[in-house]
Amino acid sequence: MNTRLATLAVALLAGVCVAAVASARPQANAPLTIYAAASLTDVFRSFDSAQNYSFGASNALETQIRNGAPADVYASAAPLNTQRLHRAGLVEKPVTFTANRLALIVPRSNPAGIRSIYDLRSKPVKLVVAGPAVPVGGYTLTVLRKMGLSSVLSKVVSRESDVRAVTGKIALGQGDAGFVYVTDARAVSDQVTVVRVPAWAQPRVRYEIAVVSRSSNKAAAQAFITSVLSARGQTALKNAGFLAIPKAPA
Amino acid sequence: MSLPDGEATASESAVWIAGAFCSSTASGVALAGIHVRDAKAATENDLAYANFGLATSYLVADFYSRSLEAAKLEASTRPALRRGRAAATLHARELTALLTGAGDTPATAEDFTFEWPVPTFATAASIRRTGTAVLRASLGAYQQAAATLTEPTYRVLFASLSASVAQQVGTFTTAGAPAEPFPLALDLETASAALEAFLG
Repeated sequence: MNTRLATLAVALLAGVCVAAVASARPQANAPLTIYAAASLTDVFRSFDSAQNYSFGASNALETQIRNGAPADVYASAAPLNTQRLHRAGLVEKPVTFTANRLALIVPRSNPAGIRSIYDLRSKPVKLVVAGPAVPVGGYTLTVLRKMGLSSVLSKVVSRESDVRAVTGKIALGQGDAGFVYVTDARAVSDQVTVVRVPAWAQPRVRYEIAVVSRSSNKAAAQAFITSVLSARGQTALKNAGFLAIPKAPA
Repeated sequence: MSLPDGEATASESAVWIAGAFCSSTASGVALAGIHVRDAKAATENDLAYANFGLATSYLVADFYSRSLEAAKLEASTRPALRRGRAAATLHARELTALLTGAGDTPATAEDFTFEWPVPTFATAASIRRTGTAVLRASLGAYQQAAATLTEPTYRVLFASLSASVAQQVGTFTTAGAPAEPFPLALDLETASAALEAFLG
């Protein structure tokens, strides 16, 4: 009898402990809150539709995380943003998970007759870019500087808050040309024509992802990152036009 | 021996043609004896040629490596292919130093995925044809840079790069082919378009 009572007590105690642990840990299946660069909108949604996403300019998302936004994972289109948060202790060590390239897009009707990036210099153009703090805006400045074409910035008529806004404006014909990621250009390929940015002028576009330090669901957040880095995640990114994780320089 | 250029100070404008190997100096970078002024005075257009030149140097080095690997050219050309690859590697190193000096982040070879059409290395003829096309575009841009850049010591550097690449074009020229009396200089847009398919 004593033995049976002791067994029952142990079982009850174990049950209480399990319940206590379970209540402290968020449910494994609860959706994560993922803050991700606007250019990842389509691919992340199709890759894992079970999570809650907040897409936007990486710099804006960085600010929100600094201000205590309840994110579990942060995926940025520029290492600058993730590294700054990491140095501040706000995200765990970031990893590179994909890369991208820039393209110039023009409306299908191409009213300005843009065939090459060099045409931006010689033709009257309403140019749409993202703001300089937005990753794609910074990359745009790099491309123009590398090509010796920064003077065309005098033709900018609109500075947008993220890459999706640039893409939308050009797709709707509200500008003659705009710099976006190749992946965003693909998403509106029926509405725009892509003008290639030469490989030698491409900026180093690297995406990084990290667990947000104050996440209450770090294990699931890490599992999400692992799945993005997995063969399935990389295939999804590749199918959306993103580039493989770059090799480190020799 | 130093040659005055009439535009920079004596110490900065000195062009050393001494045949020495590369060395760093307090005020610039020495490319096999050519003293290149610090990049602070460079214009954006000057640096655009340097960025293009860096990418094409990686491209040319890759082309030589693949040509050696394919072993379709006469065995007697192998030393020239190796010398060409070594020259392209040195060109890339010096253009990297130039861009770094200007505060840029230079590309590395890993930033490129070169694309060679399938038959490129299948026959000696296609290697010669592609090699000539790639080197001619590169040469054309270097000639233009040598004539138009604002920074005098850069002009000397690009003239030197032109001479080196012109020598290499000969590697792919068939015996008895007429010498080109006036190889065309190409603006950056034209040269870039000519190499776009290979640069990926």
